Amino acid sequence: MLSLLALLLATPDVTGPWRATLDLAGGPLEFGLVLTSTTAGLGGELCNAGSCTPFSAVRWDGDSLVLELGDYAASMAVVPRGDSLVGRYHNVGRRGPRTIPLRASRGRWTGTAGGAALLGRWDAWFQSGFEQTPRVFEIRNGPQGLEGAVISNSGDYGLFAGRATGDSLALGHFDGSFVYLLTGRLDGDTLRGSFHAGLRTRTAFVATRATGRPHLTPPTAVTRADSSAPLAFRFPDVDGRMVSSSDARFQGKVVLVDLFGTWCPTCHDAAPALVGLYQRFRERGLEVVGIAFEVTGDSAQDAPLVRRYREKFGIPFPLLLGGVSEVEAVSAAFPQLEGFTAYPTTLFVGRDGRIRRIHAGFYGPATGAAHEALVAEFTREVERLLAEPAPR
Amino acid sequence: MRGLALLLLTALPLRAQTPAAEVGRERAEFTAWLATDPLSPYAALGLQPIGPGISVGAEPSDLPLAGVPRGILTEAGSSVVLTTDGARRILPRGRAVPLSATARLVITGGPGRAVAASFGTVRGATPPQFFAYAPSLRIAVRLEPPERRGRFPVLGLDGAETDANEAGLVRVTMAGATTRLRVYRLGAADDDEAPLFIYFRDATNGRETYPAGRFIELLPSADGAYELDFNRARNPYCAYSSVFPCPAPWPGNRLAAAVRAGEQYHAP
Repeated sequence: MLSLLALLLATPDVTGPWRATLDLAGGPLEFGLVLTSTTAGLGGELCNAGSCTPFSAVRWDGDSLVLELGDYAASMAVVPRGDSLVGRYHNVGRRGPRTIPLRASRGRWTGTAGGAALLGRWDAWFQSGFEQTPRVFEIRNGPQGLEGAVISNSGDYGLFAGRATGDSLALGHFDGSFVYLLTGRLDGDTLRGSFHAGLRTRTAFVATRATGRPHLTPPTAVTRADSSAPLAFRFPDVDGRMVSSSDARFQGKVVLVDLFGTWCPTCHDAAPALVGLYQRFRERGLEVVGIAFEVTGDSAQDAPLVRRYREKFGIPFPLLLGGVSEVEAVSAAFPQLEGFTAYPTTLFVGRDGRIRRIHAGFYGPATGAAHEALVAEFTREVERLLAEPAPR
Repeated sequence: MRGLALLLLTALPLRAQTPAAEVGRERAEFTAWLATDPLSPYAALGLQPIGPGISVGAEPSDLPLAGVPRGILTEAGSSVVLTTDGARRILPRGRAVPLSATARLVITGGPGRAVAASFGTVRGATPPQFFAYAPSLRIAVRLEPPERRGRFPVLGLDGAETDANEAGLVRVTMAGATTRLRVYRLGAADDDEAPLFIYFRDATNGRETYPAGRFIELLPSADGAYELDFNRARNPYCAYSSVFPCPAPWPGNRLAAAVRAGEQYHAP
């Protein structure tokens, strides 16, 4: 007890808000850290604009304060130096271990709002050599300053937040695993800049004001299906029971099949919308089933992750284990699908058991109006299918 | 690995590090990784194109792995399937698949040209040797427009085939001679984290450095330029183990000067 007290006295008081920066090779990415004192010791959160994620553990290891993000096998280790913290962020991603320099000073970042010339929807081209791939930026002023979203053919990258300085902007997204920074400057009517992903990758972009013509591939045109026969699936649920499309619960119902992965942030964005649709329409004949495609494809490792996902979102419909997240595995599990590329992909199945519509990707809440429009579109489609007579 | 990172954290000054200190830290991490990681090239046992199908597991097999039941690897459509005693399992690409406490399999290569590599325990790891940090060989470069169109497969540092495109060329002046080096972006077109690499040869190859050439990752700097730090030059995996194929030189990427920076090579 005495030695514990001595340890507590010896460690500096780090509680309170911190302005933290990840020093990427291409520039600084700002985020917030909030450290708190709890009855169990130290706690804390990692914050992006208004959205915060709690650390799974905060502890002292010698002189270092270690902040752990269990969901992402990631951690930060910092050493207090006067009124600052200096250290590193570390995780093991699909490209092996990576370490990014990290520093923080006391206080909160104050975002700044942007002028009208920066705001709105932009059609962007990411450029590498002779290649270019499309993205859409949605930029707006939020309660904490400039914020927005970056959208690709397979969905958005989550909420970006930051600041405007005259005709320039810097918006970051750091959720503990994904590291993105968007920097740009107006050049007449054109926005030019860089998209930084991870510690060391930078891609140049050129963006012009959205014209209203489609810039991305429409989400309903990415994946096609052979709908001459009813959709068939059969997978174990997280408790080992087999669930099949021929089960009584699906007969004559409209079914939304969510092809997802617990590793996929866009899937996390889509989950509350699917729960909402299920609760609103189950009485009228809607069923929802989620089929998880996970990193290992080993059910002993995957089932606990999927159970945690079910608890996190309070998911009342069945979640099944589809296998490994390779696109090829999904193609093998659903031979009727052609061109599966995006997580999540939502299959709309009519009361006759046939696939009626396929939506690739999802626009999360960070996309603002695009998210609301998408949820409204899903709702309309479900209502349209529910209105059809059940086959006899 | 995490323990090591923490150890280094406390052992090194924590101010914004100089490039030399940063490279020193990375070299120490890399040396430890080579000596201990289950996917270190020193843990590689074999590598085989899957083609119409290969056997894997207890000998005799195309890809021997002691203590693993014998199975057959095939490419079915665009997926790779391991069939053991009639049970079929689709394997992920680019990630280690544990088959026993010590045996791992890694599938790489695109559809129709998948390659399987088997890994056991690290054996005979030799610590890599480096030239002393040469500050003058860390230079700022700008990407000039590419010459080559389209996408093409190349072998990366790890001997695995990857889809690539030419991101551009950079101009390097050494000992009075200017050379333009090709920069490839290694990864799919929609991969946001696909890195930029230069694979180059120079006058030290075959004497002080690896004969086939060395790789350097290009790092973005804040002003839109890139940092080309020859002190970061690294050997391809074929330098550590004959299991891995050596990447063919990239056209034109040859410096007449001797680049005494980065990783060395001393034939065993």
